[in-house]
Amino acid sequence: MASYYQNLQQISKLTTNFLSLVQKRQSTYYSSPLLSEIGKVKVKYSVSKSPEEWKYVERLLPPLTVPEPVPKETYLSEWRPQLNECLKEKYFIQRTKNHMIPVYLKIGQHGIRKVTIIKNIKGDIWALEQELRDFLQKETPKPLRSQVNEFAAYIRIYGDYVNAIKYWLTEKKI
Amino acid sequence: MGTGKAVDKALTLLRYLPRVCLANIRTNPGAKKCKKRGRGQHGGDKHGAGNKGSGQRQNYMRLGYETGNTPFYLRFKREPYYKGHHLRRQYPPLSMLMLQTLIETDRIDISKPIDLVAILNTGLYRLFPDQQQFGVNLTDEGVDLFKAKVNIEVQWASELVIAAIEKAGGVITTAYYDQHSLQCMLNTRKFFERGVPIPRRMIPPQDAIEYYTDPAKRGYLADPEKVSQERLVLAQKYGYTLPKLEDDPDYNMLTERKDPRQIFYGLHPGWVVNLKDKVILKPEEKELLDYYAS
Repeated sequence: MASYYQNLQQISKLTTNFLSLVQKRQSTYYSSPLLSEIGKVKVKYSVSKSPEEWKYVERLLPPLTVPEPVPKETYLSEWRPQLNECLKEKYFIQRTKNHMIPVYLKIGQHGIRKVTIIKNIKGDIWALEQELRDFLQKETPKPLRSQVNEFAAYIRIYGDYVNAIKYWLTEKKI
Repeated sequence: MGTGKAVDKALTLLRYLPRVCLANIRTNPGAKKCKKRGRGQHGGDKHGAGNKGSGQRQNYMRLGYETGNTPFYLRFKREPYYKGHHLRRQYPPLSMLMLQTLIETDRIDISKPIDLVAILNTGLYRLFPDQQQFGVNLTDEGVDLFKAKVNIEVQWASELVIAAIEKAGGVITTAYYDQHSLQCMLNTRKFFERGVPIPRRMIPPQDAIEYYTDPAKRGYLADPEKVSQERLVLAQKYGYTLPKLEDDPDYNMLTERKDPRQIFYGLHPGWVVNLKDKVILKPEEKELLDYYAS
């Protein structure tokens, strides 16, 4: 029994020696020793509190929230801001957090099924569906298939009508 | 004659009974064997692996191996069209239309020079440097409606895009960033929080040097005088009058450039940014200064 414990002690000595041989990479922030462990820093450095230099740092930091777009006189891209005129309608489509129109194309069945989905609809969703139906039926000879989900506030239309719907919504200033 | 009557009766009975034939005789004892009922799914069969051989043992040969024949893929000469394609530099596209939209939705501020950090800070353009992606390729979609006066720095641009930006009174530079520099630019806040010094930007690899020293491509290593000459040449080619930079009220913004070793505007390699105390630590050791300047 005594020899067994002696053996154990020898093994533990061996393992500690072995651990000291394991390579340690000190190159990253997480593996480097803490400042308290080092003591005094020997490398010479200076501390700058210049606000002129700090401006460059602030310029680099990514914003924590999506900025509110400032209204402009003319818009060259397809994007338009949501104006108060849209409140005249019976329905309201809330913009996304990126200030975009929530109209998306869902592609399923390996590219065979294309479904356009309009989200965040408030107010009279049925009136919007009827108006969209009247507009989109001219685009296609096929009968338009759509689904209205009043509770989840979305309309699904079978087929790719994303650009048509976005154009219609921007023309109506919704 | 009692027996005779019985025989007759038996014979008449036999006449009406069915004949003995193969259809109604019993098989020999032991001739019929009951089918074994296998256990498990599909009656305990081979699980689709077949009988005997590499199929059953599931030690599949490597793909294309033909058990000793010269394999098909080595049998004929071929040209390696896609040799090293997985190592080529990629530049994910950003269209001019998208850039115009980003400007109009105030995601990008044009009163300051636009570089890769400004584009990445919008959160609407993603870059994966570990997948050999080296920055923005500004494409010419929506080139006709672009009107913003910008000082933009991208990694790849076509001649038409350069012409469109310079026609609108802006300046474009193409600049190279190595993968370590790109990693710092992905999320600057995260990078500064790591507390490591800003690395120095590496010079482009040998096959990219030509592009980034070309004044026609507005390379950042090109001679500035030749670049201004090329601006004039492009204006004459596309037939527009080049707006004068010197008379521009935003002259300082439009002429702001980075050092070829610099990653961020206004911050030098070797500096450590402390976001908590809002201070910048600068090295003063000669060895370090020489390293970061080299």
